[in-house]
Amino acid sequence: MKKKLLSVLLAAGMVMSMAGCGNSNSQPAASNDNAAETQTQAAETEAKTEAASDAQTADAAGGEAVTLKWAIWDKESTPYWQALADAYKEVAPNVTIEMVDLGSTDYMTVLATELSGEGSDFDVVTIKDVPGYATLVQKNAIIPLDDYISADGVDLSKYAGTTDQVTVDGSLYELPFRNDFWVLFYNKDLFDAKGVDYPTNDMTFDEYDALAREMTDTTFGSQVYGAHYHTWRSAVQLFAVLDGKHTILDGDYEFMKPYYEMVLNQEKDGVCRKYTDLKAEGLHYSAAFSNGDVAMMNMGSWYVATLISSLQSGEYDADLCGNWGMVKYPHAEGVEPGSTLGTITGLSVTSATDTPDEAWKFVEWVSGEEGAAVMAATGNFPAIMTDEAMDLITGLDGFPTDEASKEAMNVSNLYLEVPYAENVSEINSALDSYHGSIMSGEMTIDEGIAAMNEAVQAIKN
Amino acid sequence: MKSARKKAIAGKVLVYVILIIIAALMIIPFIWMLSASIKSDREVFQMNPFVLIPENPKWSNYHDIWTKIPMLKFVENTVFLTIVVTFLQLLTSSFAAYSFAKLEFKHKNTLFFAYIATIAMPWQVYMVPQFIMMRKFGLNDKLLAIICLQAFSAFGVFMMKQFYEDIPDELCEAARIDGMSEYRIYASIMLPLSKPALSTLTIFTFVNTWNDYLGPLIYLKSEAKKTIQLGLKMFISQYSSDYGLIMAGSVLSLIPVLAVFLCLQKYFVEGVASTGLKG
Amino acid sequence: MAKGLSRQKKRDLVAYSFIAPNFIGFAVFTLVPIVFAFALAFFNWDGSNPITFAGLSNFKQLTGDVFFKAALKNTIIYCIGTVPLTMIASLALAIVLNQKVVGRGIFRTLSFFPYVASLVAVTSVWKMLFHPSKGPINNILYTVFHVPMEQLPQWFTGGLVLVSMILFSVWKYMGYYMVIYLAGLQGISAELYEAASLDGANTWQKFQYITWPQLRSTTFFVVVMLTINCFKVYDIAIMLAGGGSGELTISSTVLVYYIYQKAFIDWKLGYSSAVAMVLFLMVFVVTMIQFRGQKKYQ
Repeated sequence: MKKKLLSVLLAAGMVMSMAGCGNSNSQPAASNDNAAETQTQAAETEAKTEAASDAQTADAAGGEAVTLKWAIWDKESTPYWQALADAYKEVAPNVTIEMVDLGSTDYMTVLATELSGEGSDFDVVTIKDVPGYATLVQKNAIIPLDDYISADGVDLSKYAGTTDQVTVDGSLYELPFRNDFWVLFYNKDLFDAKGVDYPTNDMTFDEYDALAREMTDTTFGSQVYGAHYHTWRSAVQLFAVLDGKHTILDGDYEFMKPYYEMVLNQEKDGVCRKYTDLKAEGLHYSAAFSNGDVAMMNMGSWYVATLISSLQSGEYDADLCGNWGMVKYPHAEGVEPGSTLGTITGLSVTSATDTPDEAWKFVEWVSGEEGAAVMAATGNFPAIMTDEAMDLITGLDGFPTDEASKEAMNVSNLYLEVPYAENVSEINSALDSYHGSIMSGEMTIDEGIAAMNEAVQAIKN
Repeated sequence: MKSARKKAIAGKVLVYVILIIIAALMIIPFIWMLSASIKSDREVFQMNPFVLIPENPKWSNYHDIWTKIPMLKFVENTVFLTIVVTFLQLLTSSFAAYSFAKLEFKHKNTLFFAYIATIAMPWQVYMVPQFIMMRKFGLNDKLLAIICLQAFSAFGVFMMKQFYEDIPDELCEAARIDGMSEYRIYASIMLPLSKPALSTLTIFTFVNTWNDYLGPLIYLKSEAKKTIQLGLKMFISQYSSDYGLIMAGSVLSLIPVLAVFLCLQKYFVEGVASTGLKG
Repeated sequence: MAKGLSRQKKRDLVAYSFIAPNFIGFAVFTLVPIVFAFALAFFNWDGSNPITFAGLSNFKQLTGDVFFKAALKNTIIYCIGTVPLTMIASLALAIVLNQKVVGRGIFRTLSFFPYVASLVAVTSVWKMLFHPSKGPINNILYTVFHVPMEQLPQWFTGGLVLVSMILFSVWKYMGYYMVIYLAGLQGISAELYEAASLDGANTWQKFQYITWPQLRSTTFFVVVMLTINCFKVYDIAIMLAGGGSGELTISSTVLVYYIYQKAFIDWKLGYSSAVAMVLFLMVFVVTMIQFRGQKKYQ
């Protein structure tokens, strides 16, 4: 089935490219069957007057040069943007992809500003996080893709349920192309040195806590931290939602208490670095892990690519962290292992674009299986996890060779760090802020949770 | 007599001790920046033990900064912006300030209030309406947008006005009686007298434009139009932060600013010989 | 009569011609958007969808907003701490560096360093110096003053974070205001000091009766700018106190951070403008009081 789809896509691509070579000038009625096909689509989308979209889609099929302006971040340090654009050039030679780098630090702010009012010239935009996505949806800056999805028969089930969590009133405004999930990284050398068994793919939180404590060495000079939690809210707070009984949008956060207690007790006993220290140092999690004194660290799968490339380039000392592995997230008592957090990166079509159909084609391609192959080849986890893509990643030079690390890639339940909700950005800010208060000791766990409840309930009403 | 001299010497010593302490406090960050700029990512945040010069200094940071991003182009853009903005700012502010300080006219207070009021508004508040407006003017992704934003700041007018007010009115009155036009008074009396103020404003405008980040971030998107500060931020990506390179870039970007300061600071000294506070 | 009027008109025209080059640019690019933003406080707008009238509801909502109240309180405390300290420090530094001191140029340049150096770089240094467990400051407290480990100050959280912010900002902006004062000191005529010396005035008297009054407009300018900039504090807070996602907690949040958050994260531009109005009114009142004070002296 997959193979067939691929070959159809490839064939379509070849036809398109040939058409592209054939007539470089605009010939609206060049290929009739394509025009007919898109006509039904146009009727459904109601986006444009029929005549206009008619002419447009026909243009694309006929191969008129189209330029799509695509908002991205960190072009220099992220290889897959260029790889995707180049690969798409093969499929649709008449389409020029113009990438605009908005930088990663303030990406969603700049993007939302750019899409404010009318007159933006972006066609396709990358969606970095769900709060930002919610903003753009509410601003009507991006369009619903449902009609396109049903017209082209895109199978959403391949996205492992993530699309459900970003559906807004029954409509989907983005299609994910990258899907990172959280795993537990560990340093095998430290476990070997201590003669402790490696963590497994099936650990309860209690077992995890005990293991972290067992690995800890507080002797000055030969210090080992059993665990490491980055300063993000997700790294601590979201352990609590993995049992599937609660969500981060609940408005009553009593269920987070045991996890805060676990981490703060570990901090007190020197099992992990102090939150306040991390904040003062601005210590990046990658620096923490590559320093070779952290036994286990929970982090997103994007770190796999970083670890592999930094070890190869010599930026990380292989003696300190070269022997690493991964296992699944620990799980709550009575819950099957493999539940974890996910972060999706998606593409959307702007409402300002003059060429929504071409923009959609691009989005569909990047988020589809061909795009997935490109992503996997660069060591990133595509939103559609095919066996081929998985083999590509696990087969990368530098990927851990043990079976457990490969098995860790199988996710049973994926909960987005933040699912869509109407006021998700405000809820997110409130939770971020009180997470900081609890972790830095400004508030006790109970005070912090009470404040969270109050703030989120106020936002929801 | 003798004890007075002793006291004076003790005072001098005290002044120097304080000055040296202050100077040390001031220079620490720069030394740290220099040191960090030749370190690898991991070494930058290593505190225990802290080393000033790492075993293997990463001089390549100073090389990479030019090759990893089109730094030369960024420098060009920044220099162009800074010079144009500073020039316009000096010219228009000192012109307007003269009027506010030395002339009487209708709505003077209202107009001046408009200036002050805008200083008090954080830019974040009107950034969006401003952006939408500028885009309507076709200024999105144009260097001209930054010039329009920065060149007519209220700050410059306010500062120059305060300085002009300290210049005695009698000078202008005398010139007026001599039949000089206001433009001549401005050009031949006020301007030469306000060199310290002008150099101060030059430095502030220069530093502001040079270091501006949010403005270019919102307005300049194509690679060919970006500025140094945007270039530096390019290194800070979500999943890794290249501190060594950032610091190397910071050191480089600091040099022109310091050069301008050093060139202009003699104007603060000007006249000190005759006016200094002799104890 | 008619002639007099026309002369006044002519004068006005000359005055306007001086102002025009700056004012036109200023009005178009700054004043118009600001007036628009002002009006926004009474509306709801997300930057894209149609604007709807909100009346006073944005302001009413402010009164029950925990984060807003915390931000307001923190900002005021920060200003009360920073304004006088910076003013005194920069004036003292300017007076010292206006004298014939060996290496004056070097000292002046050094004082200017913190101001020109990038904020990312200097905040990193500060955070190292005040690092709660490894920093030299706490190290001294621990080894020299025998402060127990658990009681070592946490400089970047809780109640101390504002203190750190104040100290940092005095250090960073002292050189900036020193430069303004230095320029102001140039305007004081030497004869005044010579005359005072003849009358047998001592250093303090000279300062009290000559320097201070002569620097009146400079001081006014410095204090107004300081106040405004303090109320607008934003990136210092983020860099010194921001957590993993750059967020500020209740003990370190400040008004402009909240304005930024409401405008660009939540896209509630109306509400954000309402917060800005509060900020503006405070700055306005403080400035007016200072304005009165300056007038009274004259």
